[in-house]
Amino acid sequence: MSELPQLDPVIHAQARLRVTVALAGLRSGDQITFPRLQQLLDMTAGNLSTHLRKLEDAEYVEITKAYEHRTPVTLVRLTAAGRAAFESYTKALHQLLDATGGD
Amino acid sequence: MSAEESLNLIAQQNRRTRRELGGGPARMLAAWALAWIIGWGFTYVTTLPGVGVPGWVAGGIVVPLLFLGAMAYSTFTSIRSGRGIRGPSRTVGAMYGYGWALSSIGLMVVDIRITQFQALSSDQVSLLWSGTWLLLTGVMYLAGGMVWQDKLMYGLGAWMIVSAALSVLVGYPANFLVLTVCGGGGFLLGAIVYFVREKTGR
Repeated sequence: MSELPQLDPVIHAQARLRVTVALAGLRSGDQITFPRLQQLLDMTAGNLSTHLRKLEDAEYVEITKAYEHRTPVTLVRLTAAGRAAFESYTKALHQLLDATGGD
Repeated sequence: MSAEESLNLIAQQNRRTRRELGGGPARMLAAWALAWIIGWGFTYVTTLPGVGVPGWVAGGIVVPLLFLGAMAYSTFTSIRSGRGIRGPSRTVGAMYGYGWALSSIGLMVVDIRITQFQALSSDQVSLLWSGTWLLLTGVMYLAGGMVWQDKLMYGLGAWMIVSAALSVLVGYPANFLVLTVCGGGGFLLGAIVYFVREKTGR
């Protein structure tokens, strides 16, 4: 009998899970601007910032500030660690489902 | 949040993200399928005996309008879905888009110039245009297949190149039939396959 897998608490929260999914939808190496990400998620700027900071603290997300035509832009991307964490999170979900709903 | 709820949330957000970021080439291919099938199909019909529609209606009005429409749609959707995205895929997408524009303008100049010499009969001119445009389309799809490592796109390109050869071999006016059935049909088939893939979440 195998032990039930632990779900990563950084990802396992509704808002942060959605942020991670949206970022994982980008091709690796691509970044997304803060407003576009906000639009993909229908979140308020404050709410999104809070969750991004938590993901950044876990080093799952990288936030860069840059200038485009003298306008500051905030760019967000999932790090390799973030992508790996998301993959093992979904794997853990499937294991949990198999363990509880299987028989 | 249970494991099941989490998985549902992931699926939901994935669908949303994919739709907003363009998802795939299904709709764009469908627009081009429409333009080719209606445009070239109509052109072929005008060449049939007993049809009272002059050729310039097809070549000068219907086809250009449909192509401008499909071009506007492609440009609009790719700019819209690329909003706010930075990085390699955006650069590649822009290079590919400009590649289309640049090569189309180049080919247009070549074909118009050759047509202007009036050394070819109007039937041969028709073969020149259908052959070269199918070839360019094929090569651009080969390139797209290479860049995005998409075998279906590459296959579509190969198919268009075969159609280019076929269109000049069958001669006028059957070349319009090749443009309609093989060219337009190829786009349509591609659109359907991508659409099914989107729906089944692949």
